[in-house]
Amino acid sequence: MKNLMEHMGVEPGRLQFSWISSAESTKFVDVVTKVTESVKALGPNTNYVKKSGAKG
Amino acid sequence: MESYIGKIKEISERLLNDGTVECVVGFRKGTVALTNEPCMITKASDVQDLVWDENCRLNLANYLTGRKEKIAVIAKGCDSRNIVNHIIENKISREQLVIIGVPCKGMVDKNNPEVLQANCATCLHRNPVIYDELCADLVEEQKEVDRYEDVRKIEAMETQDKWAFFEDLLTGCTRCYACKNACPLCYCPTCFVDESQPQWIGKGTDPIDIRTYHFLRAYHCAGRCTDCGACEAACPQNIKMRHFTKKLEKDCNELYGWEAGLTVDQRPPLDSFKVDDPDKFIM
Amino acid sequence: MKVIKIDKNIWAGGIDSLRSGYRLFGPVMQGDAHEYKELTSDETPDMAYTNTRLSPKSVVFPQSEPMFTYSLDENNPEHHILKDAPKDYSPRAVIGMRPCDAKALSLVRMNFDTEEYRDPFWMNSYDATTFVGLACDSPCETCFCTSAGCGPYHEEGFDVLLSDCGDAYEAKALTEKGEKLLAAAGWTAEGDASVFEPKKAEAEAKIVCKVESSNLRGKNSLDLYDAPFWKELSFACINCGTCTYACPTCWCFDIQDENKGTEGVRMRNWDSCMTSLFTLHGSGHNPRDQKHQRFRQRFMHKLKYFVDKYDKGLMCVGCGRCVQQCPANIDIRTICNKMNGYEAAS
Repeated sequence: MKNLMEHMGVEPGRLQFSWISSAESTKFVDVVTKVTESVKALGPNTNYVKKSGAKG
Repeated sequence: MESYIGKIKEISERLLNDGTVECVVGFRKGTVALTNEPCMITKASDVQDLVWDENCRLNLANYLTGRKEKIAVIAKGCDSRNIVNHIIENKISREQLVIIGVPCKGMVDKNNPEVLQANCATCLHRNPVIYDELCADLVEEQKEVDRYEDVRKIEAMETQDKWAFFEDLLTGCTRCYACKNACPLCYCPTCFVDESQPQWIGKGTDPIDIRTYHFLRAYHCAGRCTDCGACEAACPQNIKMRHFTKKLEKDCNELYGWEAGLTVDQRPPLDSFKVDDPDKFIM
Repeated sequence: MKVIKIDKNIWAGGIDSLRSGYRLFGPVMQGDAHEYKELTSDETPDMAYTNTRLSPKSVVFPQSEPMFTYSLDENNPEHHILKDAPKDYSPRAVIGMRPCDAKALSLVRMNFDTEEYRDPFWMNSYDATTFVGLACDSPCETCFCTSAGCGPYHEEGFDVLLSDCGDAYEAKALTEKGEKLLAAAGWTAEGDASVFEPKKAEAEAKIVCKVESSNLRGKNSLDLYDAPFWKELSFACINCGTCTYACPTCWCFDIQDENKGTEGVRMRNWDSCMTSLFTLHGSGHNPRDQKHQRFRQRFMHKLKYFVDKYDKGLMCVGCGRCVQQCPANIDIRTICNKMNGYEAAS
């Protein structure tokens, strides 16, 4: 999934996967922090956003 | 390959006459150039209608889905691999089928009969992988074929160029869904594009909706696509949507050493779990 | 009818003159085929095309068309009120349309312009458009317009009909709208009306493909509906929308609301009777859940129900697009002949 998304031009890092048990609270915090940082670094999504149709 | 037809008719007639099957699924002569029409023959006297040539592009496994009768099906290499998929996925049972194997030399491009269809030019399984009868001697498989040159070209692009490449690729798509409907893998009772609760995807011609459709359609074929090329052959707009499925095919090959539809004895990789499955994408 | 001669060396200049008064649409090469599109200021219609892949019905009936906008934001005093989506109904012109496609719009009009109801979106677009036709001197091999109530010089639905006479076009003004357009382009030279008849005869003679439809009107609908051939004829059909989207006379649409946050648009999109969703009821029941039922519906509508309802011939103009493009080689000519020749066992 990730490979094909990136293959068609979605920036690497925009889609991320993890597997966290409900007992792994520290891992959860860690992953969320990392994902947030990397997505912030990428900036707003401009490609995979609908431009016509509903105008928000 | 026109020479195969005598034997195809002979086998078909025999199977219908002796009651082994109730029908034969094959092709009959089309009404326009470079096209044949999939057909079902139920009377031995009608086997004369059958044809075989380089314009039998559609995948006949697509016409077997969920059928109940005993069927003889004419299958080139890719059709046979999709029949294997169908058997694994319980869309037809092996016992229902008599597979008339066609050692295939490739279909020609529907727009240019001088060249082979793109997927046929790099095909590694021209011979049927599963069959009960053969209409000719097996052909030599193509060797030293570079199957993924086009995929690597895109992989080497920058993100924005990739985005633009696929934007351009999908220009003209009307969402007629010929690609998914010609695909033997697409048999869900309700396709995700038709779901309304929740609605996954807009129904119009917004480029993002078109892209989402193609991307998700392709993803549903991951590890199952045999690169039969029926999607591209069916597309009235000549869109090369195999650029999506081929990336998945390459990944499945590299990550799992998997080629779809070669054996009924193994579940496809995305359908099974192994402890050593690659998990580099999980952070 | 006034006939104007347009020398090809003043053609492009005339087109340029039209741009200030009209939004221009015409056939241009898109990828590997011709399609109709709105012309940019540096594009001229490519009059050397044979036929476009999609018909020009999209000029008046876009595949996706916003109808209304609305807000779901309850702080907005006008929330939940449908408002007209912004529209541009300023004059537009289609340049170089084929006679089959113009006739098709006349047929579609019967659906959108009735005594009970007038579809404002379709009609406003249609009324805003001047249709400039280009007669067909070299038809495709799948064309069967002459046996579908049309022809390569058929004038129905046009405001102007052009005939290509080598270094000039002879332009027949068929309506006031047409005369206005010719004047706006600055094309005024008197033409030769006598070229049309012989060229028409010559072009019609080139259309060798015929279908038989004369018996359809007299057939019993239920006999045809119950005819034994539908399953066999529909076997190859993959139930995609290729034929319906390419067809100039297919008019069905589906209405969808698309929201983003609290703002939304009510759209209409082309729909296709080939899909099972087309007739799926809210209850879950589907009166046409089998492939052959949907297939039958398409051909019965075009070749029987429409014929009976309007008595204006087939709902098919013989453009041949569905024949050329069908991935499974379903051929309306074969089906029409089969229906026309069918005799129910008594």
